[in-house]
Amino acid sequence: MNQIVLIVVLPLLAAFLVPIVARMSASLGAALGPLVMGVCLWITGTVAIESAGNAFAINIGGFMPPLGITFFVDRLALLFAFLTALLVLVLWPFQGEHRPREHALTLILAAASGGLALSGDLFNIYVFYELVSVASVGLVATGRRSSAPAIRYLILSGFGSVLALVGIALVYTQTGTLNLAHLSQLAPTHLINPIGLAAFALILLGVGVKAELFPVNTWVPEVYATAPNRVSALLAGLVSKLAALVILRLLVLVFAQEQALLVMLLLGLLGVITGELAAWRAQDMNRMLAYSSIGQLGMVFVAFSIPGETGVFAGLAIALHHLVVKPALFLLAARWGGALSGLAGAAGGNLPAALLFTLFALSLVGVPPLPGFWAKLLLVMGLAEQVGPLYHFALAGILIATVVEANYLFRIVSTLFHRDSPA
Amino acid sequence: MTLFGLEITLDLILYTGAFGLIVIGAAGIVLAHHLFRVILALAIAEAGANLLLVLSGYRWDAIAPILSGSESAAPMVDPVPQAMVLTAIVIGVGVQALAVGLAMQVKKTYGTLDMSAIRQRLEADIAGTAGIATTGSQDAPLGERPLPPADAVPVTPGSSAR
Repeated sequence: MNQIVLIVVLPLLAAFLVPIVARMSASLGAALGPLVMGVCLWITGTVAIESAGNAFAINIGGFMPPLGITFFVDRLALLFAFLTALLVLVLWPFQGEHRPREHALTLILAAASGGLALSGDLFNIYVFYELVSVASVGLVATGRRSSAPAIRYLILSGFGSVLALVGIALVYTQTGTLNLAHLSQLAPTHLINPIGLAAFALILLGVGVKAELFPVNTWVPEVYATAPNRVSALLAGLVSKLAALVILRLLVLVFAQEQALLVMLLLGLLGVITGELAAWRAQDMNRMLAYSSIGQLGMVFVAFSIPGETGVFAGLAIALHHLVVKPALFLLAARWGGALSGLAGAAGGNLPAALLFTLFALSLVGVPPLPGFWAKLLLVMGLAEQVGPLYHFALAGILIATVVEANYLFRIVSTLFHRDSPA
Repeated sequence: MTLFGLEITLDLILYTGAFGLIVIGAAGIVLAHHLFRVILALAIAEAGANLLLVLSGYRWDAIAPILSGSESAAPMVDPVPQAMVLTAIVIGVGVQALAVGLAMQVKKTYGTLDMSAIRQRLEADIAGTAGIATTGSQDAPLGERPLPPADAVPVTPGSSAR
């Protein structure tokens, strides 16, 4: 089962081989990336079957923690590793001319994402997080007009990692270890104090940059509006969920204290409200999807702030639902980019695409038979079970946000199916 | 030495320095107008975080953590944070190099490195691509011109006194 390490090693190796191979044979260079991602998918699948849901840890090179690098493989990590490989493969740039640089960056993103899902050590999480950030900034900058959003994104996420590093240093001063398993044993005695809370807040804000958390998400609309839609889909679908996974792991294992949950609840709720209201006002498709993504991620954080298993399940359900729906919407929007008012009667041009868009929009709002409904139901039930005014306030906020969400998504759907098109 | 009832130790000075560097960096990122200064501010903040990480494992009464074969009696400094700081410094340099590279691209595209000018051009660019009117910038007032009409009699301070 040690072969799971290969899902980090192989894409990283291939990323640096692609430009060299492409120089010798263009078709081989173009085929290398998808091939490697396919192998990663297969490895993750076989390991998932072999391990049969039992968690295990790998100490790379035989070095024991705290000096060695530890990968912690449980069902959650395997699920996210599998989805990483799958989503990268689905969103692979098959069409258009072969650009080795873009392939290499996508492979680095895949390797770092796999590492982020598997890592069992706070410092390795930081390293993989930085690698994700460099790869995604590189991908954003492949757009024609996206160098300015890319650098603003890089500076914000660079400052985010500084904050996360300070948080990690605080954790280290309190416990003397960064291994997550070891930390979870030490946390009740060493980290349930104001310094622990400060460390959590710093790491939350730092990692939250990628997870589109409320105060540090200013990069979202401009990056998603200018980057190629494939890259927006990867960032909104994959990278934000992996950052949310890191925060979930830290919250459950290390910082399980009431105040930490409250901080997350507040930031998540603010994200939901601001995101959905901004999406309601947005006038073009890409930015509307970007703001709606902020709102959905806010819901994930509200769900994670519910103590116990209910919150984890609700949050994961919303996150996985969003992971499937938002990339699909971004890909569909590539056809209809531009002002929303220009979409009148666009369904006539491509009926299947319009119907698919409608289906995904309905699921995002949470109309009963569709998966989005069950995810939102879990969240609402979980919030209703909690006592305390803040949770009930959050419940009201989420329901109102859903109404707003329904309003703007149905407005687009009705524009798409508008009968007397001006053209 | 004490100041305001607080004992000043070397540790306290160093910790204050580390947090001070981070705060200086944060202020620079928010306040600086020139893109290159923003990148430098990010580098300063990173230096502060690295200093904090080194301090977290440092002991004044210990020796450098080098295994020399013979066991020495003195305790050693915790080597783990130092190894991490090396990694963090390398990552920081990589990020700064990428930022400078992107800054060159921005200069080529927009012809300026002024942050507010870049943001305005960016807004106009996004709105232009999408085919919608610019939603107003932070630097220009919304709606009609808030100035009095051109033919209005100018009122200068002190004119009413005359």
